[in-house]
Amino acid sequence: MWATTRTVSLQGAVGHVIDVQVDVSTGQAQTAMVGRPDTAITEARERCRAALDNSGFDWPVTKRITILLSPADVPKRGPHFDLSIAIGVIAAMDDQMPRAALAETALIGELTLDGRLRCVPGVLPMAMAAARHGVRSIFVPEPQVAEASLVKGLTVYGVRSLQQVVAIMKGEAIPDAPPVIPLTSAPLLSWVGEASRDQVDFADVMGMADARYSIEVAAVGGHHLHLTGPRGSGKTTLAERIAGILPDLDADERLELTAIHSLAGSLPGDGQIPSRPPFRAPHHSSSRTALLGGGSGRVRPGEVSKAHLGVLFLDEFPLFPRDVIEALREPLEGGLIVISRGEEDATFPARSMVVVASNPCPCGEFHPNLRDNKCRCQDVVRRNYRSKLSGPIIDRVDITRYVEPVRQHELTDVLEVPEPTAVLRERVLLARERQAERYRDHDWRLNAHVPGPALRELWPMVPEAMSALRTHVLKGRLTQRGGVRVHRVAWSVADLFGLERPDQDCLITALALREGAPLAGAVVRRRKAS
Amino acid sequence: MADDERLARVTLSLIGEPGDAKLTSLVGRLGATRVLAGLRDQTDPELSADLGQRLAAARPEDELEHAARRGVRFVVPGDEEWPSGLDDLASGPTVDRRGGIPIGLWVRGPHRLNDLANRSVAIVGSRLGTTYGEAIASELGAGVAQAGHCVVSGGAIGIDYAAHRGALAVSGPTLAVLPCGLDQWYPKTHAPLFEKLASDWLVVSETPPGGVAYRTRFLSRNRLIAALTHGTVVVEAASKSGALSTANWAAGLGRPLMGVPGPVTSAVSEGVHEMIRFRNAALVTRSEEVLEMVGEAGQYALDFRRAQEDPRDRLSVDARQVLDAVPVQRAADATSIARVAGLRIPRVEELLEELHQAGFVVNREGRWHLDPG
Repeated sequence: MWATTRTVSLQGAVGHVIDVQVDVSTGQAQTAMVGRPDTAITEARERCRAALDNSGFDWPVTKRITILLSPADVPKRGPHFDLSIAIGVIAAMDDQMPRAALAETALIGELTLDGRLRCVPGVLPMAMAAARHGVRSIFVPEPQVAEASLVKGLTVYGVRSLQQVVAIMKGEAIPDAPPVIPLTSAPLLSWVGEASRDQVDFADVMGMADARYSIEVAAVGGHHLHLTGPRGSGKTTLAERIAGILPDLDADERLELTAIHSLAGSLPGDGQIPSRPPFRAPHHSSSRTALLGGGSGRVRPGEVSKAHLGVLFLDEFPLFPRDVIEALREPLEGGLIVISRGEEDATFPARSMVVVASNPCPCGEFHPNLRDNKCRCQDVVRRNYRSKLSGPIIDRVDITRYVEPVRQHELTDVLEVPEPTAVLRERVLLARERQAERYRDHDWRLNAHVPGPALRELWPMVPEAMSALRTHVLKGRLTQRGGVRVHRVAWSVADLFGLERPDQDCLITALALREGAPLAGAVVRRRKAS
Repeated sequence: MADDERLARVTLSLIGEPGDAKLTSLVGRLGATRVLAGLRDQTDPELSADLGQRLAAARPEDELEHAARRGVRFVVPGDEEWPSGLDDLASGPTVDRRGGIPIGLWVRGPHRLNDLANRSVAIVGSRLGTTYGEAIASELGAGVAQAGHCVVSGGAIGIDYAAHRGALAVSGPTLAVLPCGLDQWYPKTHAPLFEKLASDWLVVSETPPGGVAYRTRFLSRNRLIAALTHGTVVVEAASKSGALSTANWAAGLGRPLMGVPGPVTSAVSEGVHEMIRFRNAALVTRSEEVLEMVGEAGQYALDFRRAQEDPRDRLSVDARQVLDAVPVQRAADATSIARVAGLRIPRVEELLEELHQAGFVVNREGRWHLDPG
């Protein structure tokens, strides 16, 4: 007698539907598990046996049980196989279990010895994978219903125990069971922080017209940004407000981000789904694993992935270890991070706007103007510190700004009220809608992600600007890649102005943004009128 | 000034182009009453023909009353609040037929014009300035105004606005000289600035109420900005910028001319750099330096800025030479130090003792090395 159930195995954020075939036959009494299970799955045997026994089902102790996980080449990991194995054993011995329905159902959940379910991380990406592979319904631990329900076209059953699953499948009365404890009872810190992050507003930032404009352009096109300036000049103040001006996540984006948190086990217990772009600010002493993802056993997404679709703020950038900086190259360029370990490649999305902040020297007090300079670092120390700013990340930063400390008179300005975050966000939204319209037949959404050849062929600037840009490249003022990056930023400037195509002004502005040169005052003001 | 002369000046202000050199010099020589009579009598048929239509329509009493209702007054030479600096225009240059002492000024605001103008600095620049220039203009405006000097500018977009803004931020004195009549604001987007200036400080114009900001009126307006102030600072101006016109007037009047440098690659700093190169404009980088240029002699004198002093700098040349020869850690005797230093042994011994006293070197059993502290 045999039965097949289905579940999902994850490699990073990518899920594979796994068939669990259980054969119960006469022969030497033993339980064999084949198909590359990991330790957690091997242990499933013990949990399932106890769970069945304690739930009033019989574990066929006298029979030979073979459990096959296929396809065989996919490594399988995680305790959530428990439910599919247990139901497989029950179905193999019970003709009343509906075989056809089992083929269209994914079973997700870890079992306790008394037959109750436990939450598992990664339910959302599992549900997404299941739906893509023709699964119609899914059983998940009750607290994770909200997560699985995000996937369209799936009937989601939230269950508390093995008995409940069997009852539902057979169409019997559902027995009661104590509630399942959520994975994380406390909401994730950054989402608590969401409320407090709403408290920080660009309305509180006086002056800094230059930096504010640059941030707006970066937010429009998803460009990476480098803020440099003395300690206390307001780099962090600016950075922590950037996520606020990004538009709300759309349904697909929410799903992507929730999937990442589902994998990280950091979804809040109340089933709330993030609607705002994330802001992550890992410390420079964070481990490589925390930053990029990985970990022993299950591969977890790192900060770069948790910042997906939002802002990744790397404060005191020169203090980050060099190997970490090197490893950031891949997500910065491709929007994905692949963690290779043994035979397993785990892939996580990691497409964020990276904001890098640096002091001009280790003590942070250096100022190019003698009257403001309080730096006590030796020249050689300062030079070494700055040399760390070269390399793969800075090469991929499109906008560099020097942030001047706010002057007294800027704090007491009586003529202009700083624009609040909501106004900025509205403008960014409009500019992003223009991009969505322009790129609707393509895979990318933002200017920063448009491939160079496509940019040149389909979306050139006005001819004068194109030839000016070519001259810059020919004269060696820009590398070829730098030219493409300037072109992308010019589009963001144009989108902010509401132009059909980037003009000469847009190019000049994009160049100034890249070089950290002053911007034309008229340009900074022009967007206000538009 | 007699009432009929004042009224005649109002009439001439209403009918003449602001700063028309012919008119201002005539009024300077003959007085407004006689010039007006001459116009009516066709003494100069061309001038009478040019201004005839305007003269026929002029209603000076009505205009004065109308202006007064808007809080605008007409100030003429000899009035208590007439700023004496303007009188220098009598001997100043004429540019494109503009020049001379204004026939009168339309003024709005709670201060006396001479009070503000007596201690004042013009800060002007390009409408197409950069964020850098605007930041500096605000900083200079704030610094100058904080010291009690009035920041005079044209209220234009860009540098002018930034200069006024800086002064207002520190609640310091600032006034705008406009090319248009004071019943309107040019540029319109700066209405909040002008309202603030009119209510707290001053707005001034040579153009009567109702007059439009024509391009030709900017030139005569610039002459007033230069003449009202004790010096003109230009922050960012391209090679042919209008801001340079103010600088030219200032130079023509012998007033200090100052320029804030920018990157040599910046087109909007070119005019300033030329001013510094060819016109001997003083290069200024902060408000203290501006004040030093416009203040009474010695009032704002600045200390010469030095690099941080190294205690070694106080030593004699010989002593420094010996110090260079003393090993950092491995002690050496006086003989070998003398050889390295190229000085005679007794002199070196003497100097080593001095250096020891001063704490530069350490004596270890008759041998010397540098004090690590």
